[in-house]
Amino acid sequence: MEGMPHYIDISSHSLNKYGEELCGDKVEVVKGNKRTIVVLADGLGSGVKANILATLTSKIMITMLEHGADLKETIDTITNTLPICNVRKIGYSTFSILDIDDCLNARIIEYDNPPAFIVRDGELISPEKSMIRSGDKNVWVTEFELKLNDEITLCSDGVIHAGVGVMLNHGWEWEHVGSFIAEQEISSADKLNRRLLETCNRLYDGRPGDDATVVTMRVRKPEIAQILTGPPDHKAKDTITIKNFMNQSGRKIVCGGTAANILSRELDREIVTDIEYIDPFIPPTAKIKGIDLVTEGVLTLKMALTKLQSINECCEEPIFNKKDGVTKLLKLLIEESTHVHFWVGRAINPAHQNPDFPKDLSIKINIIRDIEKELKKMGKFVQIFYTD
Amino acid sequence: MEIKICIGSACHLKGSYDVIKKCQNYIKEHNLSDTIELKSAFCLGRCSEAVSVQVNATEIFSISPETAEGFMKLMHQRTEL
Repeated sequence: MEGMPHYIDISSHSLNKYGEELCGDKVEVVKGNKRTIVVLADGLGSGVKANILATLTSKIMITMLEHGADLKETIDTITNTLPICNVRKIGYSTFSILDIDDCLNARIIEYDNPPAFIVRDGELISPEKSMIRSGDKNVWVTEFELKLNDEITLCSDGVIHAGVGVMLNHGWEWEHVGSFIAEQEISSADKLNRRLLETCNRLYDGRPGDDATVVTMRVRKPEIAQILTGPPDHKAKDTITIKNFMNQSGRKIVCGGTAANILSRELDREIVTDIEYIDPFIPPTAKIKGIDLVTEGVLTLKMALTKLQSINECCEEPIFNKKDGVTKLLKLLIEESTHVHFWVGRAINPAHQNPDFPKDLSIKINIIRDIEKELKKMGKFVQIFYTD
Repeated sequence: MEIKICIGSACHLKGSYDVIKKCQNYIKEHNLSDTIELKSAFCLGRCSEAVSVQVNATEIFSISPETAEGFMKLMHQRTEL
């Protein structure tokens, strides 16, 4: 599998036990060039105590593994470090580790968490497992080679216990969660993650009886969104900027009226703006042949940013079925891209210098940087290029 | 006659939406859809005088939701000349 272009799309979200401020599950992710490591730890109990146990476990493990420590050594360190619970006289946290190298060799290491769900071509698969012992712990290791579009889901037991004794006699159960995951035809790890947790939350009737955490990983084909926003400061650079932009691979998006006009002029392709508003607050979009989406700039971007921030504050699945510029942009970014490249020009728009123009909109680059921050939280690879 | 209303950032904030609605209503009330074609456009380069409206790809006017109806009356008269 070496050399095959792929992107390890990872997402993790948690539901806190009802009434708890802290989550007793903790996820750590390290994404390097050569290796991706994820640790999900579920601390004993709930609240502060569980949170401390899970944080210690996940942080120690990810740090040791990242620096090349041996697996057994890592597990022993956990056993010898965790504080002992006064009530239960044990120091305990379950864990699942997912370790993927750049040739897509995957290793899953599991201790007392629900077994990982591995989905290939819409079917659950169960590669062979081997057991290693560390002290009194039986730790299961699965090693196999991943293929494009394979999906691995790790979860804490709060997920498979969802609805126990309330909506369901035995909770959601591993097999049911497994077939639910296998049935979903979703390419974005984040979308799948949110769908699972939202379902989980419904089964708990909005009052989770335990912390529930889901980590989803999907091997995706890299999908790039190229976003041109704002023309260069020097008119002389228009031609080369547009040429470079058009030569990039991936979907092309233009966010900005002036940039769109320049692109239309340089490519000699007609720009047709819509006159009908889908939402009175959102400027209409436009069409240019060969460009996937053309929107107004700063207002659309600002509204997209606000929406991204609110999406990142919760773990519900966002629905993008409206057809306005903001929704279309978000759908492209969140669901259809793994990489987002912004092409930013430094030209100053005279209108934005008008004292009447809202101050927080006057510096577009600040909005782009904030969008970058939110997209990175969603596991996207974001880059900003200056066209001058 | 072709009338293009700017829907760029600055014009949007100054009320492109209302200007478009008012112009559309005027055209409907006076049955002008055959003589006046209403379109939108991104930045017409007159951001500081929003809302910008361009007529027949040449003249650019600066109008507001309040003056939209008057502007349409003027254009209406022109078409009848």
